[in-house]
Amino acid sequence: MKKLLLIFTVICSLLAVVSCQEEELDLKNPNALTTNQFWVTPNDAELGVNSIYAMFYKDGLWTRWMYFRLDLTSDEGYSTSPWIELADWTRFNYINYNFWEGNGVTWRDSYKAIFRANQVLANVPEIEFQDEARKQSILAEAKFLRALHYYYAGLLWENIPMVLEPSRPDDLPQQVSKEEVFAQVEKDLNEAFTDLPMQWDAENVGRPTKGAVKAMLAKVYMQQHRWNDAKTALDFLVTGEGANYMLVDNYKDNFTDINENNSESVFEIQFGDQRRGGTGEGPDASVSSNRAQFFAPRGIGWSDGQARFWLVDTFKEEQTVSGELDPRLQHSLFYPSLFEDFGDKTYGRDWEWGEDEAWFRKGARDYKRDNEDYFSGVNWRLIRYADILLRYAEVLNELEMTSEAYQYVDIVRARSNMAPLAEAYPEIGNDQDRFLDRLKIERVLELSGESVRWEDLKRWGDLENQQSVDEIAERDPDFNNFEIGKNIRMPIPQVEVENNPNLEQNPQY
Amino acid sequence: MRTILPFKLLFILGFLLFPLLGLNAQNTVVITGKVTNLNGEAIPFVNVIVKGTSVGTSADIDGNYSIEAEPDQTLVFSYIGFDTKEVAVGEQSFINVQLQEDVAALDEIVVVGYGTQQRKDLTSAISVVSSDQIQKRQTTTVAESLQGLAAGVNVRGGGQPGQEARIEIRGLKNLQNANPLYVIDGLVTTANRDFNPNDIESIQILKDAAAAAIYGSRAANGVVIITTKKGKKGPLQINVSSKLSLTEVPQYDLAGQEEFVRLNNMAYDNAGIPRQDLNLDVNTDWQEEVFRTGMIQDQNVSFSGGGENSSYFMSGNYFGNKGTVIDTRFDRVSFRVNSSGTKGIFSVGENLAISNSKNNEIGGPEALRGNPFIDVVRLFPTIPVRDESNPGGYGYGKSGVANTFGANPVAIANLIDQTIENLRIRGNVWAELDPFPFLKYRVSFGYETSFDDFKYLRKEGSWTLNQPFDPSFTSQNRAQSQTQLLENTLTFDKEFGKHDITLLVGTTYQKDTYEQINGLKRNLLINPNTGDYFDVLDLGDQPQVGGFRNEASLLSYLGRFEYNYDDRYILNAVFRRDGSSRFSDENKWANFPSLSGAWRLSNESFFNVENISDFKLRASYGELGSGNIGNYEYQGFINTFGAIVLGRGQNLYPSATQVRLANSQLRWETLKQTNIGVDLSMFKNKLQFTADYFIATTEDVLFGFPILLSTGNDGGNPIANAATVENRGFEFNMSYNKVVNDDLSFNASVNFTKLNNKLVKLGSGLNESIQGNTITRAGGPVGMWYVLQTDGLFQSQQEIDNYTNSEGEVIQPGALPGDIRFKDINDDGEITNEDKEIVGSPWPDFEMGLNAGLNYKNFDFSMNWIGSFGATVYNGYRSIVDRFDDDSNYRAGVQPWTPENPNTDFPRVVKGTTLNSRGDSDRWLEDGSFARLKYIGLGYNIPANTLEKIGFSRARLSLSAQNIITITNYQGLDPEFSNSNIFQRGVDLGAFPNVQTYSLGVEFGF
Repeated sequence: MKKLLLIFTVICSLLAVVSCQEEELDLKNPNALTTNQFWVTPNDAELGVNSIYAMFYKDGLWTRWMYFRLDLTSDEGYSTSPWIELADWTRFNYINYNFWEGNGVTWRDSYKAIFRANQVLANVPEIEFQDEARKQSILAEAKFLRALHYYYAGLLWENIPMVLEPSRPDDLPQQVSKEEVFAQVEKDLNEAFTDLPMQWDAENVGRPTKGAVKAMLAKVYMQQHRWNDAKTALDFLVTGEGANYMLVDNYKDNFTDINENNSESVFEIQFGDQRRGGTGEGPDASVSSNRAQFFAPRGIGWSDGQARFWLVDTFKEEQTVSGELDPRLQHSLFYPSLFEDFGDKTYGRDWEWGEDEAWFRKGARDYKRDNEDYFSGVNWRLIRYADILLRYAEVLNELEMTSEAYQYVDIVRARSNMAPLAEAYPEIGNDQDRFLDRLKIERVLELSGESVRWEDLKRWGDLENQQSVDEIAERDPDFNNFEIGKNIRMPIPQVEVENNPNLEQNPQY
Repeated sequence: MRTILPFKLLFILGFLLFPLLGLNAQNTVVITGKVTNLNGEAIPFVNVIVKGTSVGTSADIDGNYSIEAEPDQTLVFSYIGFDTKEVAVGEQSFINVQLQEDVAALDEIVVVGYGTQQRKDLTSAISVVSSDQIQKRQTTTVAESLQGLAAGVNVRGGGQPGQEARIEIRGLKNLQNANPLYVIDGLVTTANRDFNPNDIESIQILKDAAAAAIYGSRAANGVVIITTKKGKKGPLQINVSSKLSLTEVPQYDLAGQEEFVRLNNMAYDNAGIPRQDLNLDVNTDWQEEVFRTGMIQDQNVSFSGGGENSSYFMSGNYFGNKGTVIDTRFDRVSFRVNSSGTKGIFSVGENLAISNSKNNEIGGPEALRGNPFIDVVRLFPTIPVRDESNPGGYGYGKSGVANTFGANPVAIANLIDQTIENLRIRGNVWAELDPFPFLKYRVSFGYETSFDDFKYLRKEGSWTLNQPFDPSFTSQNRAQSQTQLLENTLTFDKEFGKHDITLLVGTTYQKDTYEQINGLKRNLLINPNTGDYFDVLDLGDQPQVGGFRNEASLLSYLGRFEYNYDDRYILNAVFRRDGSSRFSDENKWANFPSLSGAWRLSNESFFNVENISDFKLRASYGELGSGNIGNYEYQGFINTFGAIVLGRGQNLYPSATQVRLANSQLRWETLKQTNIGVDLSMFKNKLQFTADYFIATTEDVLFGFPILLSTGNDGGNPIANAATVENRGFEFNMSYNKVVNDDLSFNASVNFTKLNNKLVKLGSGLNESIQGNTITRAGGPVGMWYVLQTDGLFQSQQEIDNYTNSEGEVIQPGALPGDIRFKDINDDGEITNEDKEIVGSPWPDFEMGLNAGLNYKNFDFSMNWIGSFGATVYNGYRSIVDRFDDDSNYRAGVQPWTPENPNTDFPRVVKGTTLNSRGDSDRWLEDGSFARLKYIGLGYNIPANTLEKIGFSRARLSLSAQNIITITNYQGLDPEFSNSNIFQRGVDLGAFPNVQTYSLGVEFGF
């Protein structure tokens, strides 16, 4: 009996132990907020929208590889990287479509940015704000940024999946055409326009303004040759209510951290050097640009990207009104006679590189140091007013308003002390084609190495017939690899094609 | 030795008393002697009787006996676990007897989880491995020593000091983690490198679901139950062993400087680009700089003993492994105490192990650049080891002079110090109450904790071309893991006539926590006197701190019903219900039932085959679970680390968002396994045969398949119940033992495993998953080779022009003579990714183990062979040295195609073009079959009479070698490599090869 009692006691205590343990199965993560606990306060919305800006700092986008896609793939730049595959991806030698640095990471990071925008757009409307206007401008920022990333993704791959809701792991989004991508970009931008301010206060400079929206709209319309729409958008910046922009006196101020967010800046990616970690999602993830480290000459940076030498020659074709070299050459390139021409050394060094070599100078920090690293804080002027003026001229020319277009080119030329276009090139007159041909050169002189050349070439149709491609190939032999109808867009990462039944590889890949 | 005296006195006393008791002592002689096993080790307490009489005695603790018998009588020596032996007395007065261990050991007790069963009564697939098989090898972990010893158990090790072997029981059943559950003395844990294999008494491997079901959700990968040594009744026994081994790593046959220069120039010339300015004054043998002879020492001492009501076992071990690669070593110090005591119906005991292990590894976090087995081939003979013009002073690639991104391992060894140290305490206390003979209550509390200390010091300097400047920094973390396990079980065991019933019920509760703090500082202070860095987290700048805590808990109810009718029909039913904190509320709980039965035909009255001593048929079905995922996988989290720059002041502002996606609907992964088997013993248990066929289907496999990049997911693929995996296999084990005479005996066993792996379906609407050069398609095995196929070389322009598709399009218009011809599988006139096909399997057709032993007098010899046949593997080494588009050193003696040397299968070498060198072709696939002499050893037991003189009870010398013979066509370093990526298991890209080991061992006991 005593024994039975003992057993009874044991079993009872056993059950007691068990029942109080069942609650122990509810364990909360002590390390992070869950998604359900976030998106509650206006501050969450601020943090959330900021995270979309943080995507500028990732490898695949504007910290590093975007410049390879836009500047080096175009005829302005090339790569002699000893990392063959890296160089191959700047010369249409696409073999492994999954190559991460050349393709996958830019694709992924574009969608990572879009995912962040989608989170804001899906969750912020539910949050109660005291300041309703701020709520609307947060949503407008998200739309602007989503449009920006879709614009560049559309530019690179053209036929891409459209994701407009926060992602779920088993999503298989539907591929759409370039036209549909641009239509979505247009829609987002038009919606963003209403709720964004003309100017931000000093603390928030760097967020998109109404002017930035119109500039992006102009870009997307121009790529579609919708010249009237483009003109309307550009009117806002040049002649309309948003015409508050002005070229800075010193051309170089567009490429250093000395005069950032200046009067010429329409939309600028804000970089800093405060954090020294990698480009991932860790606690010290950097907020810097790697461009200069990758583009600086051998021995100073990686020299994975170089400028084609025809740029030097183009600059030297025309002199200023006072008979000097185009001053933009000095700030655009490192090249062999830089010292001879302008008394300027290359990162303090004498020219020690090839006589036919040149490197991009925009964004370089040689004005304050003799080397580079991964932590450049120089803002990247994604859209500046000089680009807008030249675009305005291009649009007017396309709309057969060539004579009105001259003045805008001349504003840009005048800063660099170049004679008015009509004086320098009287033969152009009102000939639309000649004007466009000249404008193509003007854009190079003003904007070389600023990541606009690839969209320019596409817009001008220069990549669509063999004759013009052959001409380009004379400047940049990489275009000997260029296949018409194929290389105008990049291959989609193969894993995406294979794992998404709603996605097809781009033609001819 | 003094403690032995009372026993001796007792026996002398007994001897004196026998005549007084009036036994017939006429013509009798006193016979004395010693009973030992075949190794010469004393067997204590052996029963000795005079045949046909009631006269008997038992031997003492040292195996010595003394008995009176007449010359025409016969002595019978018997003891549990040994064959009975009869010896005629004759004229002898001194009879030493060796008893053969009862190899069949059908009465052997097998630990089955929360209880034991007799081996003959097993209804499920369980392998038993004896401790001496394990301990004779020189290994870091238990898993490594199981290699080739049990059917269905696949083990792959590696030669890196402290490297833990990968073990897979019955194939790849899930995609997360193939490691089985380890249960050491009832404590659910891992037998990692902190555990001293010398402490093992026995190992049982529970292979099928019915056997493992009692462990429910943890057991889907099988269970390895380890019982550590316990003290035996008797005075203090001391055992000391010492093993010393030299290790050698296999090396590549690389080109010397002259050959390298010739080939490199050829590649540049063929590409029409200027040769690089190779530094011909330098001639470095990188392998000589990086590899060395390693040394392992394994020192072990144990003390054990016990009385009527108590026992104890203590051991101490030092294991030191100086690696075969510079700057690598592993050291372990461990202690163990196991003891138990009984009073009346109450008994109590404890097992406790403490170990401290420290591991130095070479290399940084970047796998490719810090791997010496890759770097020694990527560096040129023309690169100096030291180069003062580089930051830090080490040589490496230089643009235009040595175009390689290979990292200098000597630089890494000196510029990076990385150590991981763990202090682990692992143990449990248990108490048992036996109020009735048929009832037992047991409570066990287990606790395991590990204090982990990670230190990383990076000094200033570079080791590879284009390395960004990094300031010196130290990154350190301290962590503690804890596991608490509380188990209650109640066992009822009673025979009712021919019915034998055992019933077990219980509960278990386990809680795991892991907590870490970490810190980092840059720009460390250098001591100007010594040049050393201050590597504490104090003297530097840019501090950074962090930390995290993870918790998980598991609550289970379990029950087992065992029924045995007349030793003919045996039935086992097991049920376990598990609840885990890792799943959301609606998916927390799952049930895991199993049922198994056996029929012992040999005990049926109609079964009467003379040579068959035991014949049993078994069948089982069971379900097991796995919740082997991160702690909070079902929830999405917000990453709050981000920051952005804004404003006129260019200040930092915080940002936060979801980065990694999550599946809220995660549920348990379930393994359903059916097993049928047969056990057969013949010729008085000399020949034993066990065979099993099984079908194991894992449903809802938890795995993070890559999801679309267009989801924008980052930070790891979200875990999903993604797939169904099926493994069908056949395995058998056959062993034969024969005692020829007192001096000579031998044994041999062979095990065989054939496994077919199949991914039945992939989740998320996917039909296939491509990873690297492999494809996993629904309906096919995991990770099949999916590459382009080569078809010889073009010998002439004409051959290139004639190589067209069905519409006459030239397929490779850019090729030149000497280039590889690829097959245009889809006939579209181009070589693209669409031309890839499945061309081979990384899975072996079958694997085998072969073990043989021989005892002759005091010598014993044994060897183990393992073999794996039919796997196709990717030779990553060759994909580097044979590519030529990217510079590296080359294989010695390659004969590339040239117009003068067209009769070769090696394409023309060209710098910079990836045509011939593309990594996704079958050019790099090879037959990975091999057979390997895993172990060969010779031992000598010093004879008993010599031992007595020196006062030892046993002493043994041994010589052995591991991995010294490998038969294979594989051209990489080691066909027995291991790759932890489940989908790319056949890719050998710089895996640390198994080392050749030569060992000398001494053991003695007193």
